[in-house]
Amino acid sequence: MTKVILNKNKVLKNEYFFVDNLTNLTKSNSENLIVTLSQWLDNKNTLSKKKNIGIKLNSDESLSLIKEEISFFKIIQFNFLTFKDGRPFSEAKKLRVELQYTGEVRASGYILPDQYIFLLRCGFNSVEIESEKKKFWLECLKMDTGLYYQP
Amino acid sequence: MAKKLKGDSFFLSANDLKTGSVVYYNGDDWSEKVDKAKKINRSEIEEYENIAKKFEDECIIISPLFVELNDDGTIKKLRDIIRKNGTTF
Amino acid sequence: MYQYSDKDKQIVKNRTREFLSQVKRRIDGNLTEEEFKPLRLMNGLYLQLHAYMLRVAIPYGELSHIQLNKLAEISEKYDKGYGHFTTRQNIQFNWPKLEDVPKILNELADVEMHAIQTSGNCIRNISCDHLAGINNEEVEDPRPWCEIIRKWSTFHPEFSYLPRKFKIAVIASEKDRAAMKVHDIGLKLIKKRNETGFEVYVGGGQGRSPFIAKKINNFVKKRDLLNYLEAILSIYNEMGRRDNIYKARIKILINELGEEKLKSLIESKFKKFADKNLLLEEDEIKKIKNYFKLPINNPIKSSIPVKKNKEYNIWLNQNVIKHKLAGYSIIMVSLKHYNQPPGDATAEQMKKLSIIAKQYSHGEIRVTHEQNLVLPHIKNSDLFSVWNKLSALKLATPNIGLITDTICCPGMDYCALATARSIPISQKISQHFKDQSIQDKIGNIKIKISGCINACGHHHVGNIGILGLDRNGEESYQISLGGSADEKTSIGKIVGPSFSEKELIKAIQTIIETFEKNKKNNEDFLSVFNRVGIDPFKKDLYDKSNP
Repeated sequence: MTKVILNKNKVLKNEYFFVDNLTNLTKSNSENLIVTLSQWLDNKNTLSKKKNIGIKLNSDESLSLIKEEISFFKIIQFNFLTFKDGRPFSEAKKLRVELQYTGEVRASGYILPDQYIFLLRCGFNSVEIESEKKKFWLECLKMDTGLYYQP
Repeated sequence: MAKKLKGDSFFLSANDLKTGSVVYYNGDDWSEKVDKAKKINRSEIEEYENIAKKFEDECIIISPLFVELNDDGTIKKLRDIIRKNGTTF
Repeated sequence: MYQYSDKDKQIVKNRTREFLSQVKRRIDGNLTEEEFKPLRLMNGLYLQLHAYMLRVAIPYGELSHIQLNKLAEISEKYDKGYGHFTTRQNIQFNWPKLEDVPKILNELADVEMHAIQTSGNCIRNISCDHLAGINNEEVEDPRPWCEIIRKWSTFHPEFSYLPRKFKIAVIASEKDRAAMKVHDIGLKLIKKRNETGFEVYVGGGQGRSPFIAKKINNFVKKRDLLNYLEAILSIYNEMGRRDNIYKARIKILINELGEEKLKSLIESKFKKFADKNLLLEEDEIKKIKNYFKLPINNPIKSSIPVKKNKEYNIWLNQNVIKHKLAGYSIIMVSLKHYNQPPGDATAEQMKKLSIIAKQYSHGEIRVTHEQNLVLPHIKNSDLFSVWNKLSALKLATPNIGLITDTICCPGMDYCALATARSIPISQKISQHFKDQSIQDKIGNIKIKISGCINACGHHHVGNIGILGLDRNGEESYQISLGGSADEKTSIGKIVGPSFSEKELIKAIQTIIETFEKNKKNNEDFLSVFNRVGIDPFKKDLYDKSNP
């Protein structure tokens, strides 16, 4: 299924690569790369010399291991193992409020359009979704009145 | 849904998605009438699990379950009897 | 009473629209049941044994006569003509159709009501003292604080997918009428050196493993309240267990981490945004407080009608409490009539009570966590007239606080989780102890009945707690003794092997006899239990050599 990136109401193509095995890197995908937490931890030295690196954390993985180096990442992607796992909402907020992270925060994995507004409000900029579902995401976004009880 | 099932014969039951009412499978459709319910043998459980799944996917029913029957065809468990007859007080 | 601002109205309307679209997506097959379930739960919609069940929020248990009348109408139009008031001061409808729920929500929105966050793994309706603002003991009225917390917790973007449900209660005096210490967070308003603030208790709860909340802060300033709550919830969202549903509540986290550790994590989180977004300014607090001004201001000269009617006098003695303003009384409206499921009210009862509230109680009604209702501001001189009207509606059963005033969950007659029935048990208890003189002689006692280990019927904190179990297909009832949900909260102790449905009433009769045998002067059940312990009860229940 084709995935697209939704940034607010803009539908974008994913500019980042993801490789299962870092040894498979070719010239064309060696930058603009999103790596997993373990890929990062195992190859920190090589990766930190590259440009435009993002990191993907599963919803059960904590930010704490990369806390000191977050400003290096162009993008931090939280991959929801299930939409019921609400940890990334707190992690995103922590990134923005406590760690002053200004890069892109993206949600991916098993997420529902009904969570879109909450995601944006917690500091996410974008979501990676199946292209055919974007209609529902945009509908949910349209339902946002901007009236909230929290800042 | 067939986990922990005892006994040899069953009804297939569920709730109607739109109304929530208790319904029973009668062989080709779902109805509130328990007397039309199809008796299912233990050996057919898997087949009827698939049938239930099909109707779930078609958004006809939710929460399918097998209702255990006594040898005389009556419903065995109090919970299932309450589902059939309504509240007891 | 609180009244919706335009913003509140918009938010509720919007939610109704959103839910309509979710129902549509579900029926069209664009949402699976697995996906729809958390969404519908967050809007109070369950699937029970026979049907869907809709739980409607009654914020901190306060209702206007207009709202009560609307609930009656909804029960007639979309349900079977009754509703069930719950231990968290909400109301449940047992038979709505999925397709009708958006319509019900629309009708609720018309009277400033909703079903938002009455279930699901999010912050639930805030519980409160049902005598808030009308008793003499409190530091200040806790209701404005409930409203402030209600707003903050409604559609909180960070805390809508928590590890598990999250319940908060607020009280404001030494007396705890809201079971505060069995909530995930209990807040108690206190005064210290002329400043009012909050004692904060964390990690109470019932269910499979009951815990009494532990005090983690002696004084949180009013202005800091929301930031402090935010810190607690944020730590919980991050660290609460998600691998096991039975270990997911904050009560487990505090016990696994230890009180001190959790406390220090919360404190350091709090310090990170202590001076940020959610600071409460005085004028903001004042604005909310203004909504909760009593509809009556001054004491009046009004005396209670003296009548020779025996039933009226018993009722006066049992169900009527002093108001903080002289000349007024508070009526406890019993929803424990002998043949009625505890907490149930029919459409007719609700409609007529709504009229009584309008005429005599400045339009206000409250719901107690013990599943009764309250008419909060009754002129003393009106008491006899109101009694007459309540009596005709079977709403004047003089049993508040007595043995027939049981808390009871819906049990296996309705609930998909239940392992045994609870309503018939409560009815048997009512029948058995129906005689007023017997009830009076037994005195204050709280029996609480749950139909499964999830403890919706609060059995852990019943003086006598009854837990319905399934033992090889037979209903079986385990009894615990000595629980309490008041300011001296305690978890009951299991007395021994469980009883069959047939043996149960006899067992309770035996427990009452043991109590009476050991009673000194005017001691109530709990005092006797605390003095003599569980052994005499055990002996009388199980020692077969005992005649």
